[in-house]
Amino acid sequence: MNEAKKETELKPVRAVGARQPRDPGRRRVLRALALGTAAVALSSARVPAYANARGGAWWQRMDAAREHLNGATPREGGIQLDLPGVTQDGSAVPLTVEVESPMDPDDYVEALYLYAAGNPTPEIADIYFTPLAGRARFSTRVRLNRTQAVHALARTSGGEWLAASREVRVTVSGCLSQDGTYDFDSLMRTRVRASERLGAGEIGDIRTLVDHPMETGLREDRDGRTIPERIIHSFQAEFNGEPVLDIRLYRAVSANPYLRFPIAPSESGDAVFRWEDDEGETATESARIEVG
Amino acid sequence: MLGKPVNRREALKRIGLMGAGAVLAGCGLPAYANRGSNGRVVVVGGGFGGATAAKYLKRFQPSLDVTLVEPSRRYYTCPFTNLYLAGLRDFESLGHDYRELEDTYGVRVVHDLAEDVDVDRRRLKLAEGAELSWDRLILSPGIDFRWGALEGYDEAAAEKAPHAWKAGPQTHLLRAQLEEMEDGGNFVLVAPENPFRCPPGPYERVSLVAHYLKHNKPRSKVLLLDAKDNFSKQGLFMEGWAEHYGDMIEWVGLSDDGRVIRVDADRLEVETEFGTIHRASVLNVVPPQKAGAIAQRAGVADESGWVPVEPNTFESSRVPGVYVIGDATEAAPMPKSGFVASNQGKITARAVVADLAGREVPEASWTNTCYSVIAPEWGITVANVFEVHNGDLREVPGSGGVSPSGAAASFRRNEALYAEAWYAGITQDVWGTRPGE
Repeated sequence: MNEAKKETELKPVRAVGARQPRDPGRRRVLRALALGTAAVALSSARVPAYANARGGAWWQRMDAAREHLNGATPREGGIQLDLPGVTQDGSAVPLTVEVESPMDPDDYVEALYLYAAGNPTPEIADIYFTPLAGRARFSTRVRLNRTQAVHALARTSGGEWLAASREVRVTVSGCLSQDGTYDFDSLMRTRVRASERLGAGEIGDIRTLVDHPMETGLREDRDGRTIPERIIHSFQAEFNGEPVLDIRLYRAVSANPYLRFPIAPSESGDAVFRWEDDEGETATESARIEVG
Repeated sequence: MLGKPVNRREALKRIGLMGAGAVLAGCGLPAYANRGSNGRVVVVGGGFGGATAAKYLKRFQPSLDVTLVEPSRRYYTCPFTNLYLAGLRDFESLGHDYRELEDTYGVRVVHDLAEDVDVDRRRLKLAEGAELSWDRLILSPGIDFRWGALEGYDEAAAEKAPHAWKAGPQTHLLRAQLEEMEDGGNFVLVAPENPFRCPPGPYERVSLVAHYLKHNKPRSKVLLLDAKDNFSKQGLFMEGWAEHYGDMIEWVGLSDDGRVIRVDADRLEVETEFGTIHRASVLNVVPPQKAGAIAQRAGVADESGWVPVEPNTFESSRVPGVYVIGDATEAAPMPKSGFVASNQGKITARAVVADLAGREVPEASWTNTCYSVIAPEWGITVANVFEVHNGDLREVPGSGGVSPSGAAASFRRNEALYAEAWYAGITQDVWGTRPGE
């Protein structure tokens, strides 16, 4: 962590319905080109450390999952894990996961762990919910460096473990070319779209995006030097000061992290979102939600 | 009988060695050998894939009984429609007929719509009631649109905000709208996520629309809203746009809120994921796609809507004896291009001929070339070679490439000429169209 923490200014939520001024085209080009390179860089990486001869279920073969389970055996089912069966772009594969749960204070999903078993490091994200989320649902875009299984592991407040898996075949389209570097001009620029008005008991929807290269630490620059890892590692959402969701992100989350999740407020108030990267750079955003 | 389980191809090979017609019946295989031909092959779809397959089946094995089912008597190609939209090419120059297939190669061409497939009885039902029997079926149905998958975009909406992603009335509609558009208007193209027909297509289209506007309505703007963060030949397109159109073309990718989640065709408005509303003078929506309808009826498509195939032959992974080629297939990393569809037609024709003759199917490899025209004298390309490796399709490492960036204008001019020559060459190969016809 860098000691010199810089706080970016609080930005207003972008108004719905108005066309926003955008960056000049060149910057966008550079940034977009960089998105493709991350997946390519991943594919040149070393054999994953957990890939050993141990048999059994996937969670027994993966150190990160085994540590969380601490001897428990998850039940397969109760999790809907959606990814495309085939994808032409391993640099941003849409992922949506939902765990069946009433999300009551006495029965909710506490933690959801996502893994890409075939990546150099398997962790994608650890998501910690509270009942205020309303549903244990989460969407993002992930990097998959090759054809592989994506896994989800969930722990309920009652201590039960659930597991689910999904195979994804990754190809690289012959019509894609990728090069370039990330342009840092818009680093930590955020976008948020939240439900503005909800009926009593209605569950709202929040989408966020932050500009960030999510540099993996696995690729080299033109001179053959490894570009150090620099990612957004933390995201938090609160509503009227109460936590809704807390996410630890890993380098398998695509550049410009996209995070979508529900919220179930019982009264009107302000949702506040906070991102932080490895160098202590942070961004904060808020959105007003009226209830009733 | 044969000692151990064998697959159909192996069984055919062994049967071929025995030469025993009775064994064929016992295996439930078609007894084509006693019909005076080397088998009946029905090909559905007269585009780049199907027309090529029909022709090359007859070239490889003239005694085959080959029927091509295609509703149109004159087929208009999707490639080069962007030149028509720009006013650079006559629409009729994109039309091709089936006379050479019939007269020179002896393909029976049936102008009807393939409506349903009875896999068990090996019959294809046509819209006008006829049925065709086959020993092997090749489907090359192209794409259908997933109407409604993008909120607000259905067939009725396409009459106001055309897709023009199949050559025909939609292409004319978009051209008419461009002609009617006021100077200073806003042309908006909505590009989908992968996979879709013609990966460089949306980017060539905005290029050539910009060419038309630059010369006819120079105060106009072109906005491309994209559900992706990178696209085919991106660097070369960007370079060409800067060279020819300055800031007339604006591309907004996924991370810049380019993904459209709702279309309002009456108001010519689209809404992006983070709530930006874009208003268009002319709205061109390239919608999400799936394999053509007959692929769904034949049971060869999977839950993605596309058709998984065996890599070496393009025989359906789900229905033996049915082969699928072209845009309908899940053949990534091969793109959904006309060139690849035609190449798949040749390779699959060879596989079918070998299979029917009881010969081992030769190892396959395919090529692709995609030309894109950014301005009349400014062309770019991507080329690739593909193979089967460990049971999967892949690009042969180091085989392909794109045009160099920063090349001289003369280089780009030559590539634009090659693009024209490419079109003349491939349409002559597939349909027998001669230059000037």
